[in-house]
Amino acid sequence: MRRRSADDPALDALADLHRARRARRVANIDFFEALYRAYLTAILAGVALWLGSGLVGGSRMGAAAAASVEAHGAPAVGLAVALVLAVGLRSGGQGGPLALEAADVRHVLLAPIDRSAALRPQAWKQLRSGVVAAAGTGALLGLLAYRRLPGNVAPWIACGGAVAALAVLGGYGLAFVASGLRIGRRAGTLLALAVIGWAAADYATGLTTSPMTLLGDLALWPLRLRAAGTAGILLPVVAALVGLAVVGGTSVEDAERRSSLVGQLRFAATLRDLRTVVVLRRQLAQEVPRQRPWLKLPGRYAAPAAPAAPAAPAAIGAADGAGTGDSRSRPQRNLFPAWRRGWQGILRFPALRLGRLVALGVLAGLAELGVWRGTTPLLFAAGLALYLAALDAVEPVAQEADHPDRRDAYSIEAGDLYLRQAVPSIVVMTVVGLCGAGAAALAGGSFLGFEVGAVMAVPAAVGAVAAGLMSTVQGPPAVFNSSDTLMPPEMAGIRNLLRTVIPPAVAMIGALPVLAGRHPHSGLSHLAATTSVLPEVLFAGVVALGWVRYHDRMTGWWRQSMEEAQVTRRPSPHTPS
Amino acid sequence: MPSGPPPALETTVLTKSYGDLVALAPLDLSIPDGQRVVLVGHNGSGKTTLLRMVAGLLEPTSGRATVFGHPAGSMEARATLSYLPDNPVLYDDLSVLEHIEFTCRLHGAEDWEDRAAGLLHDLGLARRAEDLPSRFSRGLRQKTAILLGLVRPFGLLVVDEPFVGLDPQGRDAFIELLDDAASAGATIVVATHQLEYVQKVDRCVALRDGELVFDGPPGEVDVLALVGY
Repeated sequence: MRRRSADDPALDALADLHRARRARRVANIDFFEALYRAYLTAILAGVALWLGSGLVGGSRMGAAAAASVEAHGAPAVGLAVALVLAVGLRSGGQGGPLALEAADVRHVLLAPIDRSAALRPQAWKQLRSGVVAAAGTGALLGLLAYRRLPGNVAPWIACGGAVAALAVLGGYGLAFVASGLRIGRRAGTLLALAVIGWAAADYATGLTTSPMTLLGDLALWPLRLRAAGTAGILLPVVAALVGLAVVGGTSVEDAERRSSLVGQLRFAATLRDLRTVVVLRRQLAQEVPRQRPWLKLPGRYAAPAAPAAPAAPAAIGAADGAGTGDSRSRPQRNLFPAWRRGWQGILRFPALRLGRLVALGVLAGLAELGVWRGTTPLLFAAGLALYLAALDAVEPVAQEADHPDRRDAYSIEAGDLYLRQAVPSIVVMTVVGLCGAGAAALAGGSFLGFEVGAVMAVPAAVGAVAAGLMSTVQGPPAVFNSSDTLMPPEMAGIRNLLRTVIPPAVAMIGALPVLAGRHPHSGLSHLAATTSVLPEVLFAGVVALGWVRYHDRMTGWWRQSMEEAQVTRRPSPHTPS
Repeated sequence: MPSGPPPALETTVLTKSYGDLVALAPLDLSIPDGQRVVLVGHNGSGKTTLLRMVAGLLEPTSGRATVFGHPAGSMEARATLSYLPDNPVLYDDLSVLEHIEFTCRLHGAEDWEDRAAGLLHDLGLARRAEDLPSRFSRGLRQKTAILLGLVRPFGLLVVDEPFVGLDPQGRDAFIELLDDAASAGATIVVATHQLEYVQKVDRCVALRDGELVFDGPPGEVDVLALVGY
């Protein structure tokens, strides 16, 4: 029962398998479907181009503005490149970015086969797809840059495409190096921070010391030709070559964990099921709640010495209003169990999530500073950062939404429960907003930045939490939903689009007061002008929270109406045919 | 210093922990070539963790495991260890026969056609050989995974909860196949809750909460009571 010694036949078998499966996939392609997809992609790309053109405007920059781009553009692009490289290092530290099939892990990686040779084709495939997509995106950005900056269109497109492709090449390369050498999560994160820090130092000092800034130089070649920029090519190319050489060292344990999660993640992303994407992404990053909370809430729920009877599910709802509490061990009134449950969840947030919340708050603050200084499109970045932070902050509510059977066992309406548990999340988002205000004040060099951010913090937090709750509570779009069967396909499509777009738009409303504050009118100060629109912003947030409160009732009513309509449309068995 | 053939499986202070949670406390174990061993323990006792580390799917937190003297997960160890997991993982778009061919070619098996035909017959899969396992029931998928584990060459067979989802005929057929493999000289390590199988083996290893609580002949003590069944 011993095997004979032969390695190359195994690789041949693997190559044959890939060839046969590819041929089978090609044979199964519906070309009309493929053409339709290409048609949709072209339309979406056109829309993106049109929107992007609108955002950057069509008028050429003046000489002073162009000179400023020439002076500061390279380190700014370098910072963006650093972010891409950092994402790669983080992913590699966690065993990514290879996304293998579970069956490949079990059958191929456990076979006596050279793992480097077995994994390299998959790594190359992912690298190629990423680089091609990045080149397209970069070319688009180059085109948008051409509309505002001096120079010819072809160099801008070529440089934009090349730099984006090189950034992604470097990102993948470093990721493969990190996973192949098994540097681990902590080292991956530290290296990622070091890369960002290096690029940020270049940005702050105006010096060109990092390969990322050299790539930034390359991106600005249509403005000024600097031969040094070519040196920036070295890092991504070397990283990719080394990465492909060492990718065989990737941990099988990580590969198996990722294999099961990545497939689900892609499926959830395809369905635009944001909550599932968030949960799976956390699992992928091994982001789990802390065993011990950062701070233990005072002891109402101390573990009983002897096994106690499980508390009735009704206790959560009843106790919020009337108060029942854990009467077995402590006969005290328990006034706010829903709030308490929310805080218990939040106090177990892992350090990584807290760091991410602060980082997103800082990002939102810096984007708001950019809006204040005149770059209005950064409002989207601020809104998006608040929205992403809120998706983390509403975790306690999401836990209830994820388990509808348990939630429905409480003697309290789901919407009511969501709102009660939202209060701790609003507090968390207020702190996130204050972090942003602090960052804006530091970066802007003025205390006014903090004052403006501080007065906006609570309304922005309400809006962001409402947005996060909307995303979480509405759940995944139903693929086969009986309530949609009477809806024309166009309407169903628009409805799905609105489901995706409205929550981030609600979060963005919270970032709007800065627009009123930057150009005060009728003698108001900047701060007073900002404050003057806060009631409207708060009102929008409250309306969104109202939607969350009554969402279940509304969807229930809609579903029932649709079902009744279907019954009336169905031909009666007594109707003569 | 005595130097004989290396044991089929040897672990030296092999440990696995996830943060504060110790899934497997330091374990020293040596299983000689040709022995039949059953691994028992309640859920969460560390059986699957041990087998997955031996198979090279999990990395130990500390310590080491060797297969016929080679580090677990190394190419030599993979060549001689066949791992049958508790959850069958198969390609969606390959038939049973295509799975067999692929597995045999990956492992450099010779003259596998006759052995495959025999296994297909024994496991009752002969008439489903051209079908896609992705459309099979749990039990049939388990049988396919068993077939793939046995059709390739191996010196050490590591099996995790193999009887889950099998019908009585399938269970009997599989036990017979394990007997055949043992007769042919293979070392067999089976983790199971199937109590009657415990009586068929040479040695019983019991784990509780990640720690070794018994290692010896199965009839020696009331092992089942020891692990809390």
